[in-house]
Amino acid sequence: MRAWVLALRDLRLEMRGRAGLLSAFSFIAVVLFIMGIAFGPEEANLRRAGPGVLWVALAFAGSMLASRAWAIEVENETLDELLLTPGSREWIYVGKLLFLWLLMLVMGAFLLVLVAAWFYLPLSSWPQLFVTLVLGATGYTVVAAFYAGLTVRLRARDVLLYLLVFPLILPVVLAAVKATLGIVDPVADFAEVVSWWKLLGVFDVVYATLCVLLFPAVIEG
Amino acid sequence: MVEPVVEVRRVWKRFGRQWVLRDVQLAVEPGEIVALLGPNGVGKTTLLRVIATLIRPQRGEVRLFGKSAKAIEQERGWIGLVANPPAFYRHLSGEENLSQSLALSSKPVAAAEITAAMERVGLPAGRPVAAYSSGMRKRLALARTMLQKPRLLLLDEPETALDSGGREELVEVIRSAASGGAVVLATHDHDFAGEIASRLVEMEAAR
Repeated sequence: MRAWVLALRDLRLEMRGRAGLLSAFSFIAVVLFIMGIAFGPEEANLRRAGPGVLWVALAFAGSMLASRAWAIEVENETLDELLLTPGSREWIYVGKLLFLWLLMLVMGAFLLVLVAAWFYLPLSSWPQLFVTLVLGATGYTVVAAFYAGLTVRLRARDVLLYLLVFPLILPVVLAAVKATLGIVDPVADFAEVVSWWKLLGVFDVVYATLCVLLFPAVIEG
Repeated sequence: MVEPVVEVRRVWKRFGRQWVLRDVQLAVEPGEIVALLGPNGVGKTTLLRVIATLIRPQRGEVRLFGKSAKAIEQERGWIGLVANPPAFYRHLSGEENLSQSLALSSKPVAAAEITAAMERVGLPAGRPVAAYSSGMRKRLALARTMLQKPRLLLLDEPETALDSGGREELVEVIRSAASGGAVVLATHDHDFAGEIASRLVEMEAAR
């Protein structure tokens, strides 16, 4: 319950400040534009590159938002107040995770439409694409929210965040790209997509469990 | 025997290679108002943060209400900390800050109580904290403390930026908090400390 209060408050703050969302959406637009130009006008090339572009753009924009989720506390100097709330501190992580997860889903859906338009991805299989988006975004968010919290007090937190998060989420991004490729390829075997989904599900559960257990120890000063 | 509200036992704390607290001992009994005095850099704020269980000392132990810092986890909501400057979300209004803060501490209060507290400290409704002056932020922190009703109130230079009306309100809040628990405040102002505190503790720089 408290985690939802925190997530909704962060969403309200983000909607009023818009610093994180504006940067993330601008970044996505630039990446898509550059990649779209780089891969040329051929439909086959663009269609093959589309899933990779989608997940790379989402991963980088997600790191910006993860950093933003904790930067709210640093800018307002309110981290101490959060840490003084009663009970174990897992809920703070879960609140930040929910905030980031909701933003990632909105951004992912927006990105999916843009990539579909530019890179010829068929939106007819949108339910499968949405499942992949939820599973991939969850795995990514779980790790990014954890490390963003771990580095929140450091001056070089933005650089460190990318260095710490990307090696760990590589399997998530790869599995999500493979699943997306399988969905948009008309001759691919759907059973293969399902196996990638299962792998993503396992990552999500394992990472989420570890991060929730470790968070109270890492956030202490 | 009544347990001290705060017991700092031989605490050592350093940042990097610099020791800020060396072998600090302090006991605060129920009803006491203890003022920590001393020049900048002697570790007053650090000691407040150690007492609040926000930072862990390298050596020594802090016990609150007779329990260790770990055991106090569920009762952390009884600790009220007013930092200098007080921390609030700039894009939220004063009332929103108070209601969110109390909801997260599992002490939700009715909107009418929040409005009453805001009126009591003389703050206008609906204005974002970004538009507040330093004194108004201090007043908002007072309103939060009134609603939170902590059993241990920790204040870092609470008197700065307050006008005479605000100071009077502050003195009242501190006395009320001490009657139900204890207060530890850090200040440079000897006059203010002399007026309010039941005990003065002069801190020296760690060598």
